[in-house]
Formats: sequence, structure tokens, C-alpha cells
Amino acid sequence: MFVDAWDPAYGASFSGGEADGPASPSSAQVDTDVEVPAAQWAPIDVPRGIRCPDVVLLVDGVRRNDAGLWTAEEDGTSYPGLAASYAAGVVRCDLRNGVAELAGARVSRGLFTASPSAGELVAGSVRYEIHRVSGTGEASKLPAAVQAPLTALEIDVSAAARDHGSDGADLLVVDGPLRNRRQLPRTIGYVKTQQKQYLSAALTQVVTSLRAGQRTPVFHLGTVWGGWSWYLRLPGTSGAPWAGIVRVECSPDLTADQAVELAGLSVATLPRFASSSYKDPRAPQNLVPIAGLERRLRGMLGDVRFLHRALTMATARGR
Amino acid sequence: MDPVGRVLGTADATPLQFWTAVTPGSYLQLDDVVVTRRELPDREPVTIAGVVTQVRARHEGAQFDSDVFAIADGTLPAMVQEAAEITTTRVDPEFYVPPSPGAVVHRATGEARDAALHFDRMERRIPMGTGRDGVPVFLNADFLDGTRGAHVSISGISGVATKTSFATFLLYSVFRSGTLGGDAVNAKALIFNVKGEDLLFLDHPNTKLDEATTAAYARLGLPATPFPDIRVYAPPRVGDSSGAPDVSSRLTGVDSFYWTIEEFCGQRLLPYVFADADDERQQYTMVVHSVAAHLARHAVPAEGGVSIDGVRLGSYGELVDHVVDQLTDDETRSTWAGSAINMGTVNAFARRLIGSKKDLARLIRGDLAARRPHAISTAESAQVTVVDLHNLPDRAQRFVVGVTLKTEFERKEKSGTAKPLLFVVLDELNKYAPREGTSPIKEVLLDIAERGRSLGVILIGAQQTASEVERRIVTNSAIRVVGRLDPAEASRPEYGFLPPAMRQRALLARPGTMFVNQPDIPVPLCVEFPFPAWATRFSEAGPPPSGSMRSIVQGADPFAVVGSRGGSSDDEIPF
Repeated sequence: MFVDAWDPAYGASFSGGEADGPASPSSAQVDTDVEVPAAQWAPIDVPRGIRCPDVVLLVDGVRRNDAGLWTAEEDGTSYPGLAASYAAGVVRCDLRNGVAELAGARVSRGLFTASPSAGELVAGSVRYEIHRVSGTGEASKLPAAVQAPLTALEIDVSAAARDHGSDGADLLVVDGPLRNRRQLPRTIGYVKTQQKQYLSAALTQVVTSLRAGQRTPVFHLGTVWGGWSWYLRLPGTSGAPWAGIVRVECSPDLTADQAVELAGLSVATLPRFASSSYKDPRAPQNLVPIAGLERRLRGMLGDVRFLHRALTMATARGR
Repeated sequence: MDPVGRVLGTADATPLQFWTAVTPGSYLQLDDVVVTRRELPDREPVTIAGVVTQVRARHEGAQFDSDVFAIADGTLPAMVQEAAEITTTRVDPEFYVPPSPGAVVHRATGEARDAALHFDRMERRIPMGTGRDGVPVFLNADFLDGTRGAHVSISGISGVATKTSFATFLLYSVFRSGTLGGDAVNAKALIFNVKGEDLLFLDHPNTKLDEATTAAYARLGLPATPFPDIRVYAPPRVGDSSGAPDVSSRLTGVDSFYWTIEEFCGQRLLPYVFADADDERQQYTMVVHSVAAHLARHAVPAEGGVSIDGVRLGSYGELVDHVVDQLTDDETRSTWAGSAINMGTVNAFARRLIGSKKDLARLIRGDLAARRPHAISTAESAQVTVVDLHNLPDRAQRFVVGVTLKTEFERKEKSGTAKPLLFVVLDELNKYAPREGTSPIKEVLLDIAERGRSLGVILIGAQQTASEVERRIVTNSAIRVVGRLDPAEASRPEYGFLPPAMRQRALLARPGTMFVNQPDIPVPLCVEFPFPAWATRFSEAGPPPSGSMRSIVQGADPFAVVGSRGGSSDDEIPF
């Protein structure tokens, strides 16, 4: 028996009823013979001669729903709306000089609704841009609509952070799957929660037998957002089979050799960012710089009570 | 003026105190002077100036103490934010509004700094050292010379608080800065030297004086020279019939002081023999006063000594023996001590009087010429008169201090004018004017504290613990100075004028650092005064000034140019 390190409010580091790993098997086509033949799969250590890069950039975004709204259309109907604040930022960890700083952050606010009549909301210095949602715009679907502009914001800030001085050897770590951020160079996606089981039962045993700081061989996912991927285990875990396991992915546009090189780099880099359980409810997967970044970004979102009041006043004026 | 930060919005900003976030790349230290402005609708903007009374730095974005390792490692993003607490010193115009959060805070320099510290309103200012920023800090002369206030109280641990050094530096600044004009030329100082021979070399240059110190004096507008004009008095050597002064290191320019038996009787000095606060509680004070009165009435001068009832008394010992004899004799007792005195009281008095023989015999003399100058009188002395007490026993110290202060104060009282000023420097004030009990010396000191301001007698008192000094003396001091304090002492209400942060700092103040509180500045100022330009001990004394070669008998220099102060020039020949 093992106690999961994550705070139950965040779910588990893997989804599923059983404690033996991600529940739902994936339908994706998985090519496990990329680095070594599937039959010879075994945990891989940090390759000799690979050092963690001097500069690691980590990107993350946060979002918060500030208020739910209802529109009153001329024909008497009503559309739900969602006022949300979201922010994306980049931490630049200069490991050689021991300086971690916020390399860029941007805050944006949006009003998400399907209402054709709604316009942007301005309350003092606070401005909610209108994001028109297609379809019927049910209230339950609106939160998902925030993700697209947030991802766009993340791409913006990460590109901007690299514009301001990149030594050409840095590594960009994106929190969550890469999806449409795959065009960024030297970038890996960092997936904390395992929802799909991509590997066969025999190969899953290789995942659970990883020791801290080891990774599985690289495999290829054939899905729409697929690409090169591998699992690795972070240090500081309880010893449960899936504790501290994260999946890392990189762009499918790379060659297999480039992917293997990035995989080596990731095992050399990520373990030192692992958080400890008494400080972070999602340890060790929630990386220390990301946790710090999220705190800063949440601070930048502004006070929710203040925003709620601003929204109430702005809408009252509009009536 | 360069901007150093902005007023914080995460802590309350009040008109009297507010916090400033320091701009990255800038810094503020304790005692820095800053200024900010508050715009107001339909009236002129308010300028709020203050001094930094606390600074702090912290990691923003860190939750746990151990986060500092992750931050130093470069994995956790965080920034160091410094903030400074500002205590307002001046609001101009007087419109007490808080500064608005976000307002730019500037470091005050030049005129803005002078205005913030109220130096611009001081008509006459005496430099008393430099602030932490290296710029001179001034004392308002109005609160020193009696115009609006007088007296200085200096507290601090002995040895590290440099109380005496500050007192002498202050005197030097008063005399040499030119602020007091003609008054400074005529002003006199009376210094009691109670520890070692520290103050006997005020007129000797300091051989350890370096260029940096000279530059520090120059910044304050002062020359780095020793006191030009001092006279040193020391008690006569024990058992020496010639009355040579009892000093070991300073050999020239020292004169001995003593009182003749005739003066002792005629000026009723007997009460000062019983100047212990302990003595006053006893029954025999009545005896003391009637014996003193009897001596004044019946003592007739006789060949250096006195003659009472036909008996010639040539020394203090003989005088004491005669008085005791007369008191123990049933026939004469009532003529000396009155009739209502019982034998026990007389015996207590006699015991103590006999006990004083050993201590006072060298000071009260019948064997030395009465015409020989021997009295301590600042009016006829140099600008600075140093009275050496350090090798006198406690009772004799009290006697000298008490009699000298009384004589000087009475002289000033008779002259009836405040000018010329007389500065009295007295260490160990808690011994002479303790909070509990009364004594003749305490009476004189209280008189000085309460009436000295109008009579031109300025008391510069020093003590380890202000809490043990008579409250009325401390409260009458317009200027309060604190050096390093004992932790238990610092928490007493006598130091209520120090803000909490400054009280803490007083516990670790270095020698040469003092906190000075003066009435027209609401915050005490941290002052660093320069190393003395005069010698403070024999080992660092340079060549003695030529004037000191003369003894008191040759005090009137026949070659001195009339009107110039004798002995200050090396050029002895006026033509």
C-alpha cells in the first residue's frame, strides 16, 4: 500500500480506479521500436557526457473564472457568458548563475459568450475582450473555450522570452502536452497526469520499474497531436508504481535521433526541478519553477473580489 | 534628487510613518533622508520628508524558509524586494495627509535634506558630527546656550559609549565653529576629570591624527587642532608639604588647588564634607549646620591657619580634633551644636568627621601660603578649566565638585548676566545627583538645571544610566544624547524619545556613534563625530604647547599682547 503524494483535491497523478496505472488504454498507434526494439526495453540512465543546459525556460499559464454572466437579447432569449482572467509566463532558470527570474508574463481577460449582441466590458483600467464562441454556447462548454487564447498567449510569451537572449542551447519546458506549440525549437512538453495507457502491459512494467532519474526508451505516438514521447521518474517519491512518473513529449517534426537526444537532456534536467511533497500538493510532478510561476501569475490576475465588483458595476452601467 | 523607490500600498501609509519599496538597483540605509510629494486638489502639493528608521529585504514569491535554497539554486523564480520604513520629520505645508501609495520617493540632498532635518530653520547651528550619509549634522545653538533651552544629558555604557569624548567634541565645536560669535570667545568651560588622566591633554596635539580625520573636521568647518587655551588643576600630593600637584603623566602646566582652613571656615564648606546622599538622612545634619555656623563666626585667621577660642589650628586634622573635643565636652557642646542634641547624634557626627581627615587633609590646608593662587575660578582661568579628580577618594571628589560648583554658581548669580556662558562637564552625574535622597551637591546641580539656563551655566552631564539621575535634571536637559546602552537600561522610560528601532541600535552603537535628540527635530539623529584632534592619553600626546610651560604663578605673561589670549601663539616676542 502506498499513499499518493498528491492532494486528493487535484485528483491523482494518473486517472483511473486502479492503482496500477492509467486506466483507459489508448487507441493510438504506438511505435515502440524507435530507440530500441520493444523486446529489449529497459530503463535508461542519464547518458554519459550529457549535462543539464545552463538555461532552462519553463512556460505555464493560469486561468481563473471571474464571473458568470447572462445576456439579455432583444428577442428575449439569453446566452450564458464567462468572464475569465488568464495569464501566461516564462521562468528563465539560469542554473549556472543561480538566478531564476520571470522572463516574461502577460495577463489577459476575456468575455466568452455565444451572444451576438455582447461587446467588450470595460471597468476602469480593467478590460474584458470579447471572445465569441460558436454554437449554442452552453455554460458548461465555456471554460474550455478559454484554453485556446491561453495557449496562444503561452506561445507568445515563450517566443518573446527566447527573443531576449537565447544562447542556442537552452531548453524550453512547456507545462502540459505540446499540441500546437510544437513549432517552438528545443521544446519539450511535460505531462503531469497520465490519462491514457499507451504501452502494452509488458512495456508498462518497464515504466513502473524505473528508478528516480531514469527514463524509458523513446516511442512514437500516431495520434493527431502525437509525436515522440517517453516516460521518466522524478526523485522524491513514495515508491508507488506510478508515483513520480511523468510523460515527456517533443515535436514529431524532429528526427528520431533528435528526439532521443532531447530525451537524454530531459532526464538530465527535469529531476532537479522536482518539488517536495510537504511544499507542493502535487509533488513531485509539479516542478518548483512552475509552482513559483503559477503563484506569481495568480498574483498578477488581480483580486477576484475587486474584479467581480468591477464587472458588476460595468454591467449595471450598460443596462 | 534621485528617485529611490515608491510608497508601498501593502502596508498602511500614514502622515507620520510609511513604508517605501526600494527600486531594484537602489538602496536605502537607516538614517537616510528621503522626501516625497502628495498632490492635492485645489491647493499646493504637500512635501513629506522623513528619515529611514527601518529597512528590510525579503524574497517575494517564496513560501517556505527552505525556498531560499531553490531560489539560490536558480530553480524557483523569486525577487528580492527591499522596503524602508520612513518616519516623517517634516510636512510642508503643515497639512497632515498620508503620502499616496505609488508616489515616487527621492533621496534628499542639499537644501531638501536641510529642510527635512529642520536645519534650514536653525539660525545658529553647531556642527556635531556627520550623519550616516557623511554630510554634517547640526545642533540648534538656541537649545544649548539658553536662548530657548539649555543643558545636555549624555547616557551610555562606560568605555564604549564615548560620552566624555562627545562632550569635549561638542565643547570644541561650540568654541571653534564661530556659531556663537563673540560669546564663544568669552565662554568658559569647567571639566571635571574623573577617570584616568584622559582629559589632561586637551591642549596637546594628537599624534595619531591622520588626514582622514583632518578632512572630517574640515567637512564640519572646524580646524583639527587641540584646545588652544586650557588650564589644568590637580589636588596636592599626599604628604607633600610644598603642595605640588599630584599628576603622573602631565608634568608641565598643572597647578594644584586647595582651600585654606580660613576659607573652609569662612565660606561654610563643612556641609560639603557630608555630601553623601546617605549623610543627609542622618540626624546629624543639624549638627553639621550649627558647627559650620560656629566656625564661620568664631574662626580668626592666624598665620595660615585659624584660631578658635584662642587655639591655633594649623591643619585640617587639628581642626577636626578641636571640633570633636569641643563637642564631646559637656560644657562646650551646647555652644557648638545647640542644646537639643543628644550624645548619640554628636558621636555619629564626630565619627564621620574624624573619618574625613584622611581624605580631605590634602585639600584643606593651613601650611601653604594663602596668597598663593590655589582656588579654582573659571573667571580668572583659561577658556577651559580641567579639574583632575581621578586620584581623589570618593568623599574628596564630592567635596571638590560640590564646593567648586557652588562657588561658580554663586559667582554667576552675583554677576546677574548670562554672558559669558559657563559650560560644566560632569561625568557620573548619577553619583552627584542620584534619583533618591538629597545632598548639598544635588541641590547645586538642581539649581543649575533649573535656573542655570538664565544665568548662563550650561550643564553637560554624563552618566551610565539616566534612570538613576534625578528626574528634574534629565527633564531640564534640552538635548539628550545616547551612546551604546545596556539592554536593560535601554528599555526604561527615560529613553522614550528613541524609536524602537533606534533603541535596538543603541545596543550596538560603535564608539563614536551617538544618537542626539533635540527639541525641534522629532526624530533623534544618528551622529558620528570625528576622532579627537587632541590627545586623550599620554601615549598619543604630541609636544606640549609653549603656554603650558608656565605655571599658574606666572599666569600673567608680561610679554602678552593686551587683548590676545596668552600662550596660544608660539611667537613669544610681540615686536
